[in-house]
Amino acid sequence: MEQANLTQPAGPAPGAPTPDLPVRSGGRAVSVGGVLRKNGPGEAPGTQNSIFDVSGLKVFYGSFQAVAETTMQIREHEITALIGPSGCGKTTVLRCFNRMNDLIESARVEGTIRYHGVDIYGDQVDPVEVRRRIGMVFQKPNPFPKSIYDNIAFGPRIAGFKGNMDDLVEESLTRAALWDEVRDKLKESAYALSGGQQQRLCIARAIATSPDVLLMDEPCSSLDPIATLRIEELMIELKRDYSIIIVTHNMQQAARVSDRTAFFTVDVKETGMRTGRLVEFDTTDVIFTRPHQKQTEDYITGRFG
Amino acid sequence: MTDDRSPHSEIRHRFETELEEIKRLAVGLGSLVLENAGRLNEALLENRLDLAQQVIDADDQVDRAYIDLERRVFRVIALQQPVAGDLRFLISIIRVAHEIERSGDLVVNCAKGILRQHGFHLSNQIQGVLARLCRSALDLFGSSIESLAEMDPEAGRRLDEEDDVVDDLVGEFYTLLATETESMDVDTAIELSRVGRYMERIADHAVNIGEHIGFAVTGIFPRHGEIDEG
Repeated sequence: MEQANLTQPAGPAPGAPTPDLPVRSGGRAVSVGGVLRKNGPGEAPGTQNSIFDVSGLKVFYGSFQAVAETTMQIREHEITALIGPSGCGKTTVLRCFNRMNDLIESARVEGTIRYHGVDIYGDQVDPVEVRRRIGMVFQKPNPFPKSIYDNIAFGPRIAGFKGNMDDLVEESLTRAALWDEVRDKLKESAYALSGGQQQRLCIARAIATSPDVLLMDEPCSSLDPIATLRIEELMIELKRDYSIIIVTHNMQQAARVSDRTAFFTVDVKETGMRTGRLVEFDTTDVIFTRPHQKQTEDYITGRFG
Repeated sequence: MTDDRSPHSEIRHRFETELEEIKRLAVGLGSLVLENAGRLNEALLENRLDLAQQVIDADDQVDRAYIDLERRVFRVIALQQPVAGDLRFLISIIRVAHEIERSGDLVVNCAKGILRQHGFHLSNQIQGVLARLCRSALDLFGSSIESLAEMDPEAGRRLDEEDDVVDDLVGEFYTLLATETESMDVDTAIELSRVGRYMERIADHAVNIGEHIGFAVTGIFPRHGEIDEG
């Protein structure tokens, strides 16, 4: 497992290779690519490939508990799907992985989420750096009101990227399987693209700042089946370089693309409080052929309220 | 196919009704073959050529029921995209239907043998072992259809144990055929050895049916486990 450096560092770790993509965080230069080191062979078995170790995670909005204690491991270079009915906390959990809940004033997170061994809610951790490494793609494509080129270049520019921007734009669009469709119209508005193209542009934009995790919140819910298939194929491609966590309402999608599936449900207390709870987390194969929990089976076979 | 379900929509209700209907049709297919097997038993032991002909004629009905069942399973898989227990159930039904249909063909093969020989005229000893063999094989088949109706997860193991009795009787029957060469001609001996083989196969199909049912209920297929463990 790799150890991440998410603090606001003074420079690269000693002996680390020269960072290939310096970006800025909170006004200070952050080295990227040079701060990761491999752990020794003493690593506990079963955690070797995990990118996130979630332990005792609870999420509150004020006095309302949105997510009950959750413990799970997310593996590297896998697609992990979070499924469950509305209100089950899956999107809330997703947003914990890059501290998006920080932006909600009443939100409070307990427990730990270790990313490459570092608790991303630790005191020394810079949430901006967390979000750069752990990118997000939203439900509705949300390109900036700028050209296709500038949509990609925006993040790296802000981060102080000094390399060849044209190359970075091309590489990001190629990785997002969009380059061939937009290479001749990079200066046109992103809004001129179709919904599916816009979503791939948002994926390219997330990739441009060299993250190693992509969080996707129902990325295909506003797309037609063909555009959906393209995004799904893209996800399979991307997992070679990234780890992906996807929230989806589409169970066939979870079954098609993901390696592991977490099923969440919602418990309604006497007080009316609705709290999300992780019911079962296993390989997608097991979840869709032989789930161990009756609640999982009832949900995936459509036997719910 | 489980009880105490949470309340669900009309669409899901129709799906569950369809699953129940598919199970009913599968049991119905098994009953048709079982009925025919009963006729065969009587035809074999009492030299009833008329019954043997009825066995052969009834096979069309079995084939139609098999095709009808298979079509319904395909349709529900295509339209409902079942997963987990529902998917296992439907896949198992396809397999079970095939086992039943093959058993039906073997019953017909036996009946054709009776007609070719214009009935078997056997010594009491051979007649006795043949009767026991047919009864135990056909009982095993009937038992597999009952476990289908009950979706008994233990059926595979239980039927496999009972199958040992059939295998022993087949061995006994063959030994007898080999020693009692004076009381029958070669054609009869060949035809009877086929009947023995068909009965053995019917019992094997019954064991398979039990295993498919176990898989539908538990998600574990005994022979898969053996392969997984090397």
